[in-house]
Amino acid sequence: MKLIFFNIVFYFVFCLYSVVAIPVLTLLVACFSLVMSHRNTMKWFRRAISWYGMVAIKVLPFPLIRIYYKDYEKKSGYGPYIFVCNHRAATDPFLMACLPYECIQVVNIWPFRLPVLGIYARWAGYLSINEMPFKQFSKQAVKLLRQGVSIIVFPEGTRSGDKSMGQFHGSIFRVAIEAKCPIVPVCISGNENIPPRGSFLLRPGKIKIHKLPAIKWERFKDLKPFKLKNMVRNIISEEVAVMDRKE
Amino acid sequence: MKQEITEKKIIAMTNQVFEESFEIETERLQPKMNIFEDLGLDSLDIVDLIVAIQQKFDVKIRNDERVRDIRTLEDVYRFIIILKKEVALSETKREQQKV
Repeated sequence: MKLIFFNIVFYFVFCLYSVVAIPVLTLLVACFSLVMSHRNTMKWFRRAISWYGMVAIKVLPFPLIRIYYKDYEKKSGYGPYIFVCNHRAATDPFLMACLPYECIQVVNIWPFRLPVLGIYARWAGYLSINEMPFKQFSKQAVKLLRQGVSIIVFPEGTRSGDKSMGQFHGSIFRVAIEAKCPIVPVCISGNENIPPRGSFLLRPGKIKIHKLPAIKWERFKDLKPFKLKNMVRNIISEEVAVMDRKE
Repeated sequence: MKQEITEKKIIAMTNQVFEESFEIETERLQPKMNIFEDLGLDSLDIVDLIVAIQQKFDVKIRNDERVRDIRTLEDVYRFIIILKKEVALSETKREQQKV
């Protein structure tokens, strides 16, 4: 009963927050665009999306859902980076708002079909990997990285819904090699039921996000994409196993 | 006439392709292994695999529809065995025609 009440309250506040925050942030960015270059406007637009996501995932469900973010890199660089994350639940894309960088996400087809949020994702330059051939994806991703925009990717392609981790798709690792861009493994634990796969019902819990040190291009430049994706998968898998044990 | 390679040799050469192109450990190369779920290949890796197989076995398979049905390592072996037989057969026919 408590769970239902929590969800009713959360989704009500979430809708209310979205109705207010989205137009306000859009207006703010629109005002910026009058005096700023397109590039700077896009920067602020993407940051605005991050702020929206951060409030939605950190503030609204608090204190029933608590998020702990840990950055293992003592001194963060300026980027751009390719953030590679494990994917357990639909909250993962929102959790990435914790990353203090200008980012876009590589998404499947369905997020682009979400009302309002899908349109904003498209405007922000999110890449729908299944709607374009690899060459086009690679070209756009490299262009974004060269502009200084970091890319967040969930290479499993779909949510696992539990503590397992699927095989990684290699597209983004080919991009990393080509663009000479460092890869940052990001490990997410504790949100496999927030919400469970196939449900919107959020359950109380503690979500941990560990951002591991960047893997520089010099370290993987000679690796084949297949080897690289499995290397990153192993790094994430080992860290997530430790995080799950500490739960 | 080219010397026909045995099935055993084809399996060994295929495994070699997986070891060289994807650096997969020999122990993991079991016939029942699903090349996507167990070995972790994706659609782009399949393109690399096709190129490597073409070079290794001197065959052309880029537009072969049968590639789509491949799931396990055993399927790969069987596919190459059939392919080599087809190549050998067409070469024999060609030589017979010449004679």
